[in-house]
Amino acid sequence: MSCGISAKRSLPSNPGALIFLAFLLIALLSPYLAPHDPWKRYEPYLGPSRDHPLGTNDMGNDILSELMFGSRVSLGVGLGAAIIATLMGTIIGASAGYFRGWMDEVLMGITDIFLMIPQIPLVIVVAAFLKPSAIMITLIMGLLWWTSLARIVRSRVLQVREMAFVEAAKVIGFPDRHIILTDVLPNTIHVIMPKFMLTVASAMIAEASLSFLGLGDPNAKSWGMMINFAFSRGGFLNGCWWWYMPPGICITLSVLSLVSMSMLLEESREDEHVAS
Amino acid sequence: MNLARYVISLFVILSLNFAIPRAMPGDTMTNLLGEDVILSDDLVQEIRREMGLDLPLREQYIIYWKEILRMNLGYSYHFHSPVLPLVLERMKWTLLLAAPPVIIGALLGTLLGALAGWRDSPSTRLQTFIFLTIYSTPPYFLALLSLYIFGFHLGWVPMKGFYSTGSAGNIIHHIMLPVILMSLFSASRNYMIMRGSVIQERRSLYALYARAKGLYDSQILFRHLFRNAILPIITLIALDFGFIFSGALFIEMVFSMHGMGNLIYSALMYRDYPVLQGSFLIITIMVITANMIADALYGLLDPRVRGR
Repeated sequence: MSCGISAKRSLPSNPGALIFLAFLLIALLSPYLAPHDPWKRYEPYLGPSRDHPLGTNDMGNDILSELMFGSRVSLGVGLGAAIIATLMGTIIGASAGYFRGWMDEVLMGITDIFLMIPQIPLVIVVAAFLKPSAIMITLIMGLLWWTSLARIVRSRVLQVREMAFVEAAKVIGFPDRHIILTDVLPNTIHVIMPKFMLTVASAMIAEASLSFLGLGDPNAKSWGMMINFAFSRGGFLNGCWWWYMPPGICITLSVLSLVSMSMLLEESREDEHVAS
Repeated sequence: MNLARYVISLFVILSLNFAIPRAMPGDTMTNLLGEDVILSDDLVQEIRREMGLDLPLREQYIIYWKEILRMNLGYSYHFHSPVLPLVLERMKWTLLLAAPPVIIGALLGTLLGALAGWRDSPSTRLQTFIFLTIYSTPPYFLALLSLYIFGFHLGWVPMKGFYSTGSAGNIIHHIMLPVILMSLFSASRNYMIMRGSVIQERRSLYALYARAKGLYDSQILFRHLFRNAILPIITLIALDFGFIFSGALFIEMVFSMHGMGNLIYSALMYRDYPVLQGSFLIITIMVITANMIADALYGLLDPRVRGR
């Protein structure tokens, strides 16, 4: 498969990939990297100083430490939701595209209906009924956001299933499950990956938006929750930029890195397409 | 065929609306009335009977549909008003906020996106970066920042929303910044897609042929590529309508504007479930309608679809 080669060559040098890797490392290593316990209270409303590089909030929590631990929640929710959504979208899209017939009709009919429901309002309604927790939010988003991926996977699988090696595998008599897993999906992965990254990105933005509505997990301080606290507890009006700017910048930067990686993969795929 | 799809969607969504309060944890009546309501035990029994909650689910479902057909979406005890007129009154203002950005964003995004996809230069690369950054920022965060800068520090725009009593000039003064922000968001999405779309079309044979024929660059772009590249955008604008609308909700909350966003925000504060569900229902119906219109438009613009 030459599909991934040009992308692999350029991905490590892409600033987006580097930034995202850095965020991942911070999330994994936050207990070792963070200068303070994010729940411990110091003097409130402190500006940036040597001891507290990003100052403290109204509760006196160290903001840099909050930021580092927050990356775990924000990235965790984003990645978790995207993994669930991608698995569902891939299974549904691949089954619809591979088996065709009534299965295609039914699965795509369901997809079309879900595609039309405005996601954020539905998530708001469902989340309002449930007790907010990070896992719950991940699940809700993951179970709702597979629709566009299912469509993309299906149209790719429709192409792949007509290719000679798939027909060969059918003639040899391999079971369908085997063909899908070893022949069809490996040739679909390059359309799944860019979409996966976009899903992580939009799940992160959605998590931040839900937190802003007070539907986030109050026990897990995500970046969105930090902005929410800064907004509702007067961080903006008191001009504590060190309080609300860092979480906002972190969200934008990590989403930006994901979107640019996704774009790079898409474009290298298209170059490949033209070259062949 | 397509109409059937929309009717089925609507049916499924209305059924979902029936199922959600009954499937969620907690007492169904609380889920239907909202947690802001405090009632005596006698009254609870009476309302339970009145709402038919002691009936089997199948009968409740039939009653639910009868009420829907009578345009009854329930009563909000928090706002002391039936849900439907409450939501529709707010909807006007949200549409006023959301409609101009859909159009401005479509024009700005497709035009700049087409140019950026056509020619790669430092200025288009900068443009792409700017739109990418806007695309990557949660709408409410950008709204908070600009409210802080332009409202609080510079005093160019008012700090608080607009109300139905204001004069036209007053409303424009209040709605200016939110509309600009929403247009940027809408433009950023259309920009990214149009750019990708033109990059793809640029490599097709008919573009090469047009060049071989000796057409000018701008002629190739606007007479040939644009027409094909714009097609995915039309469906997208419709699908995006839901997104734009959600964005408008958050921007309304930040700017304390009189619209759906603040209605949903206070409904969330008081766990006023009927209003939440009613809002969701109306928003969904609007999005479905937008999709239907887009479908019809698509048919008008794309002769391949028109023939079918």
